[in-house]
Amino acid sequence: MSSFTVKNVNQIFGSGTAKVHVLHDINFEAEPGTLSLLMGPSGSGKTTLLTIIGGLRTPTSGTVTVNGVNYNQRSKRQRDALRLDEIGFVLQHYDLLPYLTVADQFTLVDKVKPKGSLSKEQLTQVLDTLGIENLLHKYPNELSSGQQQRVAIARALYPDPTIILADEPTAALDSPRVKVVGSLFKHLATDHHKAVVIVTHDPRLMAFADHLYEIRDGVLTKQPLK
Amino acid sequence: MFLALKEIKKEKFRSGLIIVMIVLISYLIFILTSLALGLARENTDAINSWGVEKMTLSSTANVDLRQSFLTSKQTGTLTKNEAYLGETPVVAEAKGHQQQSALFVGLKANQFIARNIKLESGHWIKHSHEVVADTSLKLKGYKLGDKFKLADDKTKFTIVGFTKNAKLNVTPVLYGQLATWRKLRGITMGPVASVVASKNSQYHNPRSGTKTYTRQQIINKLPGYQAQILTFVLMIGFLMIISLIIIAVFLYILTMQKLPNYAVLRAQGIPSKVLVSATISQSLILVASGLVIGTVLTAITGLIIPAQVPMAFDMPILTAVGLGILIMALIGSLIPVRTVLKVDPVSVIGG
Repeated sequence: MSSFTVKNVNQIFGSGTAKVHVLHDINFEAEPGTLSLLMGPSGSGKTTLLTIIGGLRTPTSGTVTVNGVNYNQRSKRQRDALRLDEIGFVLQHYDLLPYLTVADQFTLVDKVKPKGSLSKEQLTQVLDTLGIENLLHKYPNELSSGQQQRVAIARALYPDPTIILADEPTAALDSPRVKVVGSLFKHLATDHHKAVVIVTHDPRLMAFADHLYEIRDGVLTKQPLK
Repeated sequence: MFLALKEIKKEKFRSGLIIVMIVLISYLIFILTSLALGLARENTDAINSWGVEKMTLSSTANVDLRQSFLTSKQTGTLTKNEAYLGETPVVAEAKGHQQQSALFVGLKANQFIARNIKLESGHWIKHSHEVVADTSLKLKGYKLGDKFKLADDKTKFTIVGFTKNAKLNVTPVLYGQLATWRKLRGITMGPVASVVASKNSQYHNPRSGTKTYTRQQIINKLPGYQAQILTFVLMIGFLMIISLIIIAVFLYILTMQKLPNYAVLRAQGIPSKVLVSATISQSLILVASGLVIGTVLTAITGLIIPAQVPMAFDMPILTAVGLGILIMALIGSLIPVRTVLKVDPVSVIGG
């Protein structure tokens, strides 16, 4: 079974002469254990699709099903709960609360979701892999942007979601770190059976992808991996 | 609570500034409340100590005890629930002391008002030129046995006792005999008292030329009393509103700065109630901290302030005022809470 299925999704913003058809009949799904890259020029609708998959935006038409649950049949609160349990977001900015240490960023998740997150050993392993195991007592403003991005990735993985949605996760990373992060996402997909979708402009991530999709003018097409 | 405490810990300077504001406001409110209460008591202590419910005055006296004169025909026969009272302003003059304004209150020793007055020291009046004085005269150097002149009376008066809480309209009271009041007023015939006071709340005097008032009506008509109280109530009310605005503005600014982070947390499935609870907790923790420090400062002030300053520290009233400030903080935090509830995760992700 697919981790999520997007069926005949259209997204239209505005009305009348200001009407913009951002997504055209999008059909897209991701299996557990796969890493899909969504690429395309700025303004093509990549992030809009990501927010629809994450249940943050209701499409103008079409359905989104996450692990068999149709978003359209869920209340806002149920969607929040579903997101917390099933989806890990890695975003470009503001992922970390500035007044929480790295350790506290994980404690916050424990406060909201007391069970079902990664064990201490699993978290330590993720932190080791990302090279941030010594940063637990630091505040975000004491970290470089690359370190912040890696903490944000660990923070998104901590609730042990089945789907990882990442928006430009490597934008602030140098090439060696891109390799580490790419490997981590690949490892999560293959070894932990998560469906990973990454919206990116970064061609360096293609080496880790199982599927490549391109969005251009709101139309999604599958592309061959080079 | 977790987020609120962590933010306060991290942002010590910013949180400290808010707490300092709350300390200053709460301290000012506590001091003003204590002053208002102290002044109110100095206006009414004597009346409250008499155990009076109703008072009959001359109908032409404009509810002023000093302007009232009742004849025996107007007072009628008194029961054990009623007492005569004669009041007149006087100036006490004694060697080695400055002139002292006071209110002479003439009473009958066998009636209930005189029996309700508790002496701190000395004994009750036995002769016409003896008085029981308010303890505030002690602070001005008077002692038991001291003598002074009142008005044009050539015979000196002796202080034979002191009693606490004997102030009327912020003026110390000198209790003496009713006959002495008549003498001080120059009355040889006609009026027998200024007032007939009753401890019976149903008391009514229907006789011509008289009017009966409740204790509160008499208090409300004390010169300047209402103006003082209303001024203080107005100041305290304004300070409460100012504290609400300060909390609302500070929290709103802090919340606006955090909105992108909150949007991401919402995207990650953190429920709104966690963020709302953090905002409200933060407001309550900051204000409660400010209140505690404000209370300590008020207590220290109470210990070191000179006794002449009319301040009264009443725990139930100060607690109610403190709760009022906390409620203001709660209301103040609702404005940023509205913004938190409206935060749209998509706004920070874009797309």
